[in-house]
Amino acid sequence: MPTLSFKLNGQPVSAEVENPTLLVDLLRTQLGLTGTHIGCDTAQCGCCTVMIDGLAVKSCSQLAMQAAGRDVTTIEGLAGEGGRLHPVQEAFVACHGLQCGYCTPGMVMSAVALLAHNARPSEAEIVDALEGNLCRCTGYVNIVAAVQQAAATMAAGSAKASHPAEAAR
Amino acid sequence: MSAAPTDPGLATRFGSGHAVRRVEDPALVQGRGQFADDVSLPGQTWLAFVRSDRAHARIVAIDTAAAAALPGVLKVFTGAELRAAGVQPIALPAASGFKRADGQPANAPPKQPLAVDVVRFVGEPVVAVVAESRAAARAAASAVWVDYEDLPAVTGLDAALAPGAPEVWPGAPGNVLAEARFGDAAATEAAFVRAAHRVSVEIDNQRLAPSPMEPRSVVAYVEGDRLTMRLSSQMPTGVRTSLAAALPGRTADNVRVLVGDVGGGFGMKTGIYPEDVVVGWAALATGRPVKWQAERLEEFTSGVHGRDAVSRAELALDANGRVLALRVRTWANVGACPAPVSLVIPLVIGPWVVTSIYDVPRISLHLSCVLTHQMATGAYRGAGRPENVYLIERLMDAAAREMQLDPAELRRRNMIRPEQMPYTNAMAQVYDSGRFEQILDRGLVLADWAGFEARRAESHARGRLRGRGIATFLEWTGGNALEENVRVDVTAEGFIEISSATMAMGQGIATSYVQLAHDVFGVPLERIRVLQGDTDRANGFGSAGSRSLFTGGGAVHVASVRTIDEATKLAGAALEASAVDIEYRAGRFGVVGTDVGIGLFELAARQPGERIVVSGTAKAGGPSWPNGCHVCEVEIDADTGAVEVVAYASVNDIGRVISPAIVRGQVEGGAVQGIGQALSERVTYDAGSGQLLSASFMDYALPRVDGFRAFKTEFDESVPCLTNVLGAKGVGELGTIGATPAVVNAVIDALAAAGLGREAERVQMPLTAEAVWRALKREFPSVLPRDAA
Repeated sequence: MPTLSFKLNGQPVSAEVENPTLLVDLLRTQLGLTGTHIGCDTAQCGCCTVMIDGLAVKSCSQLAMQAAGRDVTTIEGLAGEGGRLHPVQEAFVACHGLQCGYCTPGMVMSAVALLAHNARPSEAEIVDALEGNLCRCTGYVNIVAAVQQAAATMAAGSAKASHPAEAAR
Repeated sequence: MSAAPTDPGLATRFGSGHAVRRVEDPALVQGRGQFADDVSLPGQTWLAFVRSDRAHARIVAIDTAAAAALPGVLKVFTGAELRAAGVQPIALPAASGFKRADGQPANAPPKQPLAVDVVRFVGEPVVAVVAESRAAARAAASAVWVDYEDLPAVTGLDAALAPGAPEVWPGAPGNVLAEARFGDAAATEAAFVRAAHRVSVEIDNQRLAPSPMEPRSVVAYVEGDRLTMRLSSQMPTGVRTSLAAALPGRTADNVRVLVGDVGGGFGMKTGIYPEDVVVGWAALATGRPVKWQAERLEEFTSGVHGRDAVSRAELALDANGRVLALRVRTWANVGACPAPVSLVIPLVIGPWVVTSIYDVPRISLHLSCVLTHQMATGAYRGAGRPENVYLIERLMDAAAREMQLDPAELRRRNMIRPEQMPYTNAMAQVYDSGRFEQILDRGLVLADWAGFEARRAESHARGRLRGRGIATFLEWTGGNALEENVRVDVTAEGFIEISSATMAMGQGIATSYVQLAHDVFGVPLERIRVLQGDTDRANGFGSAGSRSLFTGGGAVHVASVRTIDEATKLAGAALEASAVDIEYRAGRFGVVGTDVGIGLFELAARQPGERIVVSGTAKAGGPSWPNGCHVCEVEIDADTGAVEVVAYASVNDIGRVISPAIVRGQVEGGAVQGIGQALSERVTYDAGSGQLLSASFMDYALPRVDGFRAFKTEFDESVPCLTNVLGAKGVGELGTIGATPAVVNAVIDALAAAGLGREAERVQMPLTAEAVWRALKREFPSVLPRDAA
C-alpha cells in the first residue's frame, strides 16, 4: 500500500492508502476527521469542501494520493488557540447562518478560501464562490450575510493589525 | 458569568422572545457535530445494498456465490433468507383503516426489508452485503447476479389508471388503493348550479425529493442481548417500535435507538426504512457492528418522496365574490409500497386545510390513492397542507381574474372573521384563533401592494414581464400528538438537564427549550442542557408536523415550574424554614427577609443521587393554526421564459415567538423550499421504463445560493394560540406552504397580463424557463389522468 505524506491542519501526517481512496474517505475514515461531510456522490453538494494550498476543493473529487506534499486544511483546522472560532465560523453563529449544520463545514471552507483571496468580496462574488455548495435549510439568506459579516470583521482586524502602533509591538 | 445568575435582567435578555446564539452552533461550525455517519466502532463492518434496476420484475434467481467469495465479504443476505429467519415486513396499509371504493380495506404490497419474489420500483433493496470495508461491500454488491423476468410497469397516474393497466397489487383493483369522500356532493352541485361565477383549475402538484443534505446512515451493534441502532431520525421511539416488530426476538426493551445530530429531516426521516431493518438484522447475524450510509443516488431512489397529486378543483361564487362551494377531485400517486402515512397525507391531513382561512359553507371532496411502480410517497415539509393550500390559493386567483377583482379583495371578502372563533371548518377542524384580515392588511403594507403597477411598468420598460402573487393561508400543526413529557434533572455538577423525546434536526429546538427553561430558572443558558435522541432516556412521538415547540416546549415550561415547586420544598427542609417563606430567584433559594439561602445546584448535591429529578407533562388542547400572508413578485424574461423572484414579503402569525432569529430562519429557509417546488424541483421517472431520471443533484434542481434571498419577513404576535400553555403556533412548515402558491400566482399574473388571460392558469410546476417559454406560446401539459372518473 503506498504511503502518503502531506500537511494536514498545519501538522505533517503520513498514511497508508489504497490507490483508489478518495481524499474525503481518507479524512473521515482513516484519520477520523468527521467534520468534512459527504452529502452526494456526484461532486454537487459541496459538504466535503476542504482547502488545498489555500483553494477550496471538493474532497470527494480528489484521490487521497493527490494530496501528497500539499497543505490541506479541514474545518477542524480553522479555530484558533483555545478553541477561539475563526471569524467565518463566528459569523455563521452570529448570523444564524446554519440550521442542521450538515453543509456548514463545506460552506465555511468555501468562504474562508474566498476571503483568503478576496478580502472584501461583493455580494455577487460571495454568491459565485458558494455556487458549488448546497444548503437545504437556510435558503442561503443568512449564509451570505455571515460571509459579509466575516469579511468586515476580518478587514477590520487586519487593518488594526497593520496599524503602525500594532506593528511596532 | 459569575454574576449572571443573580442578575435580575438576565431573563429578559436571554429568555424567550430574544434572539440568542444557538446552543447547537459551536460544535456544528467546528465540524464537531455527531451525525450518524460520524460514529465508527471498533470491529465495524460495512453494508451495501443491491437494488432493483427494474420498475417491475419477477426475481427468477439470485446468485450470490461470486460476491460471497470476494475478499473481506462476511455475509450476503437475500429477502427470502430474511423471511425464512422470521424478519417481518413493515407498516402494512391494511392496518391503517382506509377503504377502497368498494368498501374493502386498503391493501398494498408488503414493504419487505429486502424484496421477495417481485421488485416493484427502481431502487428497491434486493440483496445486502456485509464486508470488512465499504469498498469491499460495494465491490461485492456489484458482483451479485439477479436474474429478473421483466413484468409490465405503470409509471405515473395516467398509466396506472388506464383501462386494462397492469395492476401493481391484486388487492388494489385498477390500481386504486384507497378512496375517501368528504362533504355534501349534492348540496355542492346545487351551489354550483346557482352560482354567479364558477372557476376550475387543473393542477399537478409534482413529486418532490425532500433532500436533507445528510443522507440516511445507520450504525447497528449488539451488546449482550441488546441491539443498539444509531441513525438519523426525527422519531427515535417510532423507529424502535417498528424495529421490535420487524426483527425476531426483539422488543422495545432490547432495542435501543440513538440519534445524534440530524442533518435535516423535513419529514423524510420520520419513519422506519427497510434498510434500517436490514442493518439491524445484519448486526444480529454477524455479531459485529454494521454501518451503512446511503449514497445520494439511494436517497433519490428509495428515500420517501413528497407530494405527487393531480387535482381538478372548482370554486362556486355568488355575484359578490362570496364562495358558495368548493369541489375537488384528487388522485395521489403513492408509489408501490406505501406506508400508512402515504395515505394519511392525501386522505386526511391535507383535506383538513383545503378551505384554509376562508368561510366555505360546503365542500365535496373525492380523493383516490393510486399505486404505481415508483418509490412510495410520505411526509415532506407540509405533508398535505402545501397541496391543499395550493389548490385553494390557485382557485382564489382564478376567481379574482374571472371576476376582475383584486385578488386580495376577493380573499378579504371570504376570510373567517375573528368573531367567528373558535371556528369549525367544513372538515370539522376547529381553529382556536386567527385574525386573518389583520395579517392580510399588514402583508399588503409590507409588500407595498398599492405600488405594484409602477413597479410593473418599470419592469416592462426594461423588457421584462412582471407579476405579483399572494397567498393568504393557514396550516395545521401538531401531528395529532399533542401531549409531551420532559424530565428535568438538576445536578450537583451545576447543570439543568432537560430530557425530551422530540428531536433536533436543524430547527434549533434545543436552543428554544433552553430559553424556555431559562425563563423559569434564571440561570445562565450554558447551565441548561437538552438531551435528546436516546430511547433509554425519553420516549414519545418525536419531531414532525411543526409540533415540537408548542408541545415539547410547553412540557419544558411545565416541568421547569414543577421543578422549582419541588425544589422549594427541599430548600425549606434544608434551610429549616417553611416552604411558604422560601423565595427562588436566578438559581438560589432564600428565606424571605433574611440573607439565609442555598443555591439550586448545592441543594441538588444534598439530595439522594445528588440530583433533583422532576417530570412534567403538557397537553395542548388542539392543533395550532399558524397562518400568514405571503406576497411575491417575479420578473420573467419573455425571450427565454426564465423566472426570477424579485420581491417577497410575508407577515406571519405564529402566536408567541420564543426565538426570533430561529423562526425567521424557519420561514425564510422554508420559503426557499417552497420556491424550489414552484420553480425548479421535480422527481421525474421515465414513463416507459420506470427509471428514475432525476437521480442526482445534477438532475434534481435544488435552489442554489444565486436564488432570491432579500425576504421581508414580519411576525404578528398579537394572536396567541389559545390551546397550549406557551401561546405558540408551529412554524416549521409555514414558509414552504405559503411560498409555492405565492410564487406561482405571481408567474401566472405576469403571463395573464402578457395576453394569456385565464389561459395562463394552465401552466404547471415546476415553472422552469422551458415551461414558461412554452406557456408564452400557449403550449401546456395536460395533467388529469385521461381515463379517470
